[in-house]
Amino acid sequence: MKTLIIEMIEPKRLGELVTVSREFCEQPDMVAVGAGQIPGSFGKAYQVADTVAANLVSDLASLILKEGYEIVLLTASTLGSGIAAPLSVKLSAPVVSEVIGIKPDLVVERPLYGGKAVATYKLNKMPAILTIRRKYFEAADLQGFTDSSPLSIAEKKVALIAEKEEKTEGIPLEDAEVIVSGGRGIGAAENFTMLQDVADLLNGAVGASRGAVDEGWVQPTQQVGQTGKIVAPGVYFAIGISGASQHLAGIANAKCVVAINKDEEANIFKRARFGIVSDYKKIVPVLIETLKEEA
Amino acid sequence: MHIVVLAKVVPDYEVPAGDFELTNSRAHSRYKRMMGLYDENAIESGVQLKEKYSASLTIVSYGIKADIQVLRKAVAMGGEKLSLVLGGSDDPNVIAANLKMAVEKLEDVDLILAGQQSADMDRGIVHGMLAEMLGFAFIPQVAKIEQEDGQWKVIQNTESGSSELKFGGKAVLSITSVPENVPRIPVVRSIFAAKKKPVVQLPEIEGDAMPVDELSVDIPKMESVCEFLPTEDDPAETAKILLGRLREERLI
Ligand SMILES: Cc1cc2nc3c(=O)[nH]c(=O)nc-3n(C[C@H](O)[C@H](O)[C@H](O)COP(=O)(O)OP(=O)(O)OC[C@H]3O[C@@H](n4cnc5c(N)ncnc54)[C@H](O)[C@@H]3O)c2cc1C
Ligand SMILES: Nc1ncnc2c1ncn2[C@@H]1O[C@H](COP(=O)(O)O)[C@@H](O)[C@H]1O
Repeated sequence: MKTLIIEMIEPKRLGELVTVSREFCEQPDMVAVGAGQIPGSFGKAYQVADTVAANLVSDLASLILKEGYEIVLLTASTLGSGIAAPLSVKLSAPVVSEVIGIKPDLVVERPLYGGKAVATYKLNKMPAILTIRRKYFEAADLQGFTDSSPLSIAEKKVALIAEKEEKTEGIPLEDAEVIVSGGRGIGAAENFTMLQDVADLLNGAVGASRGAVDEGWVQPTQQVGQTGKIVAPGVYFAIGISGASQHLAGIANAKCVVAINKDEEANIFKRARFGIVSDYKKIVPVLIETLKEEA
Repeated sequence: MHIVVLAKVVPDYEVPAGDFELTNSRAHSRYKRMMGLYDENAIESGVQLKEKYSASLTIVSYGIKADIQVLRKAVAMGGEKLSLVLGGSDDPNVIAANLKMAVEKLEDVDLILAGQQSADMDRGIVHGMLAEMLGFAFIPQVAKIEQEDGQWKVIQNTESGSSELKFGGKAVLSITSVPENVPRIPVVRSIFAAKKKPVVQLPEIEGDAMPVDELSVDIPKMESVCEFLPTEDDPAETAKILLGRLREERLI
C-alpha cells in the first residue's frame, strides 16, 4: 500500500513511524515538516518549512490525492493532531487517532475511556489516516539521508510568531530509563527539588501528573499520561500520584513502577511492582541519603 | 464578539480501571454523567474571554436530554445559553456534522473553543473535523488566548515547549489544561440563574458516518503484583530494601 509519513525531523518519532509503515509497505514516502536533512531512506521525500499544521492541510490533501497515497501516518502529537482531523474531512477519509496496535487487513487498535478499554477498528476506505501513539513501536534505525523536493504552501492561515523550547537539563523524559514523577501529593513546587535529586542520582528525569501541572508546580512538557508524554522507562517512581487511568495510560510500557503514596488504597498500587505506603517526605530524603552513601 | 464552547457530557472518567465495566461496548450506564475534564478547561477559557472582551458565550453540545442538567453547570460558569443537539452517536463525523449544524444556527460565531479531547472517546478528532467542515482554521493544544491588533494571539503547547501563533480569521481552538484555566466553581447564585437561561434543543441531522467498523471493545487485564515494602521501623531500611530489589532486577 502506498504510504506517506508526515512528521518533523526528529529521528525517534520518525523511526517509530517507519516501523509502523512496514506493516503497510516496503518503503514509505515522507513529508518532512521543518528544516534540516531528512534521516533514513524514503521512496520520495518532500519538505515544507512551515510548521503550523493549519497551513499545511490543503496542500497535503492535494499531494495525497495526486500521488494516490493509501495510508497516511502521523505521530499523535501537537503537529499530528493539528493535521489529521481536518485532513480527514478534506479527503473524506477515515481517521483513527492514538493507535497502539496494527493488525493485518487494515485492523487497528486504540485505547478509550482513559485506557480502561481498547477498541479495534477496521478501516473500510482509503486513503486512511492514522496518528500513532508514541512508545508503542520500536523506532527503526534510520540509515543515511534522503534528498527532498519542496512542498509549497498556497495559503497561510496562521502565522508563527515565536517558538519556545522548555529547557530540559539532562535526559529527555521520553528517553529516560529512570523517571521520578510527582503528583498533587507533592504539595508544593519547591518539593520537586527532592525528586530532581533522586533523578540526578539515578541518571533519570523528572515527570509529573496532570494534578501537579494544573497546580503550576511543573511545566506541561513534564506531564506524563495520555495527554502528556508517553514513556517507557525501566523504573517509574510515582510519588504522591493517585494512579488515575489517564495517568497510567502514559506508563503502560514502563517495566517497573515504584509507588510511594500515603493512602494504601490508592489505585497506583494496582499498577506498581513495589509499593511504599508512607508520607513521601519520610522516605524520599532517606532514599537520597542512601543513594549518596552508596555512590 | 460571539464565542462558542463545545462541551460533551461523558460517563464518570474517574472510575478506577478495576471497577470499569462495559455494556454494549460502552461504559456501563450506571456511571454518573459528568462534564469532560478538558471541556471544563475550555469553558473556563471561554468565560475569561467573555469577561475580558465583553463577548457573548454559547455552550454547544451533542448528547442526550438528561445531559442538560450537567450542561447547566457550564452555563452557570458564565455561558449565556445552551444549544443541545439531541443524539446518541459516537461517530466523530456524525457528531461534527451536528455541531456544525448547531453552530450555523447561531449568528456570527467568531471563535470556537473545544476541549483537547473528550473524556470518554479520548480521540481529539471531532473539533478538528468541525473546523474543516466550517472552513475555519484548527489549532490544537491552546494554553492562552488574547486579542492583539484585531487578531487573535494564542500560545500552543507542544511536546518541547510552546509556540506563539497569530491569526485574523475564524478558528476552532482545542484547549489544554494550564493553571490559568482550572475551572471555577460556580457560586449558588449563578447556579440558580443558570436554570433560567435559554436551552435550545435541536433534532439531529443525519451525518455520513466515518468509513470504519468498530469490531470490538475490550477491557485489558491488569494484573496486580505489588510487593509492599515494610515501612514501620526505619525508613532507611525501606530505602535500602527498595534499592536492593531494583538492583537485583537490574533496573538501576
Ligand atoms: C481526557 C483526560 C486526559 C487526562 N490526561 C492525563 C494525563 O495525561 N496525565 C495525568 O496525570 N492525568 C491526566 N488526566 C487527569 C487524571 O484523571 C487525574 O485527575 C490526575 O492524574 C490526578 O493527578 P494526581 O494523581 O497528581 O492527583 P490526585 O488524584 O489528587 O492524587 C494525589 C495523591 O497524592 C497522595 N498524597 C497526598 N499527600 C501525600 C504525601 N505527603 N505523601 C505521599 N502521598 C501523598 C494522595 O493519597 C493521592 O493519592 C486526564 C483526565 C482526562 C479526563
Ligand atoms: N458530543 C459532543 N458535544 C459537544 N462537543 C463535543 C462532542 N464530542 C466532541 N466534542 C468536542 O470535541 C472535543 C474532542 O472530542 P473527541 O474527538 O471525541 O476527543 C471535545 O473535547 C469536545 O470539546
